Amino acid sequence: MAVKIRLRRMGQKKAPFYRIVVADSRSPRDGRCIEEIGTYDPNTDPSTFNVNEELAKKWLANGAQPTEVVSKIFKQAGIEK
Amino acid sequence: MIIKPDCQDIYYKDVKQKCLTSFLFCSILPKVIVMEKIVEQGLLYDFYGELLTEHQKKIYEDVVYNDLSLTEIAKENGISRQGVHDLVRRCNHILQEYEDKLHLIARFMKVKKNIGQLQELTNDTEISREELIQKVGNISRQILEEL
Repeated sequence: MAVKIRLRRMGQKKAPFYRIVVADSRSPRDGRCIEEIGTYDPNTDPSTFNVNEELAKKWLANGAQPTEVVSKIFKQAGIEK
Repeated sequence: MIIKPDCQDIYYKDVKQKCLTSFLFCSILPKVIVMEKIVEQGLLYDFYGELLTEHQKKIYEDVVYNDLSLTEIAKENGISRQGVHDLVRRCNHILQEYEDKLHLIARFMKVKKNIGQLQELTNDTEISREELIQKVGNISRQILEEL
């Protein structure tokens, strides 16, 4: 348990780019992630995101907890639990 | 941070939602364009992060780069959740203050937008030479003003 879906920042300074990853919340800092399920790019106008719906649904059904930002993105992408 | 609607959107958000920027537009627009908070904090940190102390940097980085929750950060660092919350708030405030005084991000956004316009012009094959010269002149003047 204690699996989280969160953003992870990639990209350079001043040019943010995020991956949406599934990761274990017990060792949050070690950088490993269980699976990558999408991306979020705030540089474009409007910002774009890209979510693998199947995987997202699978992880949500398995009880993974999305962070605040991620659940907003999911909402926009039309992914509900 | 004032983000002009045409510079950087993310999406439309209800006015009442609490956010660093939204109060600026509340009185003017029914709907506001607000940058996602984590993106905004990330930008502030990119520009002014070096001015924070080591401890502040470490914790703020977890918030903006790794999207960790306050509880997780508190556990990692052996401090209270309330302590993390206060620290993050204080950092937000400090960084925002730097931006209010120095406007580096606002300038960066403007120049970035101008450069975007220039790139659009290079792709425009229909445009006449005179018009192109005039437009490029205008944009470069705008960029110069920001320097």
